[in-house]
Amino acid sequence: MRTLLRFFQKYSNMLLFLLLEIIAIAIIMQSSSYQRSRLIGLNRQVTGYIYSKVDGAREYFSLKEVNEQLAEENLDLRNRLDLISSQLDSATVVSEMMGAHRYYFVQSRIVHNSIYKQYNYLTLNKGKKQGVFRDMGVISDQGLVGIILESSANFATVIPVINRDFRLSAKIKSNNYAGILQWDGLSPQFAILTEIPFHVELTEGDTILTSGFSSIFPEGIKVGRIESFSLEKGNFYDIRVELFTDFQRLYHVNVIRNYRQEEQLNLEKSNR
Amino acid sequence: MYIIARNIFRFAVVILFQVLVMDNVMISGYMIPYIYLLFILLMPFETPRWIQLLSGFALGLTMDLFTGTAGMHTAATVLVAFVRPYLLDLLAPRDGYEPETFPRIHYYGFLWFLKYTLLIVLIHHLALFYLEVFQLKVFLSTLFRVILSSILSTSTIVLSQYFVFRK
Repeated sequence: MRTLLRFFQKYSNMLLFLLLEIIAIAIIMQSSSYQRSRLIGLNRQVTGYIYSKVDGAREYFSLKEVNEQLAEENLDLRNRLDLISSQLDSATVVSEMMGAHRYYFVQSRIVHNSIYKQYNYLTLNKGKKQGVFRDMGVISDQGLVGIILESSANFATVIPVINRDFRLSAKIKSNNYAGILQWDGLSPQFAILTEIPFHVELTEGDTILTSGFSSIFPEGIKVGRIESFSLEKGNFYDIRVELFTDFQRLYHVNVIRNYRQEEQLNLEKSNR
Repeated sequence: MYIIARNIFRFAVVILFQVLVMDNVMISGYMIPYIYLLFILLMPFETPRWIQLLSGFALGLTMDLFTGTAGMHTAATVLVAFVRPYLLDLLAPRDGYEPETFPRIHYYGFLWFLKYTLLIVLIHHLALFYLEVFQLKVFLSTLFRVILSSILSTSTIVLSQYFVFRK
């Protein structure tokens, strides 16, 4: 007994060290990507306020109004375009003929972003008050940006394409084959499209679009172009996609509200 | 008492500075300066080891909360807090550390502080970056990131000694 006590006394620091490390490793193992993103989402709500104050410096005084005007005009045009196009192909679909359009865009500004981590997140200055909720899509003028993770009254956090937890169905424009778009954590300019079977013929420079299979994005949002591809893992290609969105310079983004999202999800759920 | 209060204050300052300023400083694609290690670096020599370990744990946990990297910073900072006393022994001047002094440039000179910081930062970054990617496929590119980030963190920390934490 005494030797045991002496042992503990002698190695108490070592034991404490091991205990703390085990706790830390346990936290790493335990935390699912979902918990991790919840954590950072919560966090960003707090820091979002501070960032939005600090952010003023990013907008040059004279450029501010011009910028905002342009973005608003852009948004307006987009909304009208969607209205028109929904009316055009609604000729055959009864529900579309009600005059309501499916998608609406909420204009927003990025108040904080990270690019060079493995799990990057963006913070937007629009939240629940402006109609931004979980699982809405986010795009920029250049193309796909990400998906809303969490929103508070006035802020929202986005999981961008350049986050290792990001997954989205995307397709190749020329032949409509759809795969899973994800990020390998290496460069903010490139993402990986997987699960395209080996028999598909690919060409470098082909455009990648969103597939529209999820309720989050409409079909045909630009994602990027094929930079290179390889067949390392047997039956499926690893396609390196050069993203159209330049996350480093990203500033104005639009959040997509899909008025039919709930309806679609409910239907899909009832089929399961 | 004074020293405890000062260290708690330093803890808060270092974390806030890291989260609000440093996490937004990104030079080229690979580097983020982790200046929050200053808290561990500047703990007094005679701090009991269990306090060093626990404060390392607290520091890492707080960073994890702020960056959403559950457990990764914690594992790295606890490791560094554990290694630090051995490292200090290794780097000790011939007649040991004098009482009433702190591990700072002011007392032990630039070269000593640079070596001390670089070693601590390297160990920390190795642990942190590899835990973050958690795969060996990107071994070399991660190593590259570790080295570049270590250089940046070290220089930021050493520079800070001349500006903010002078005394």
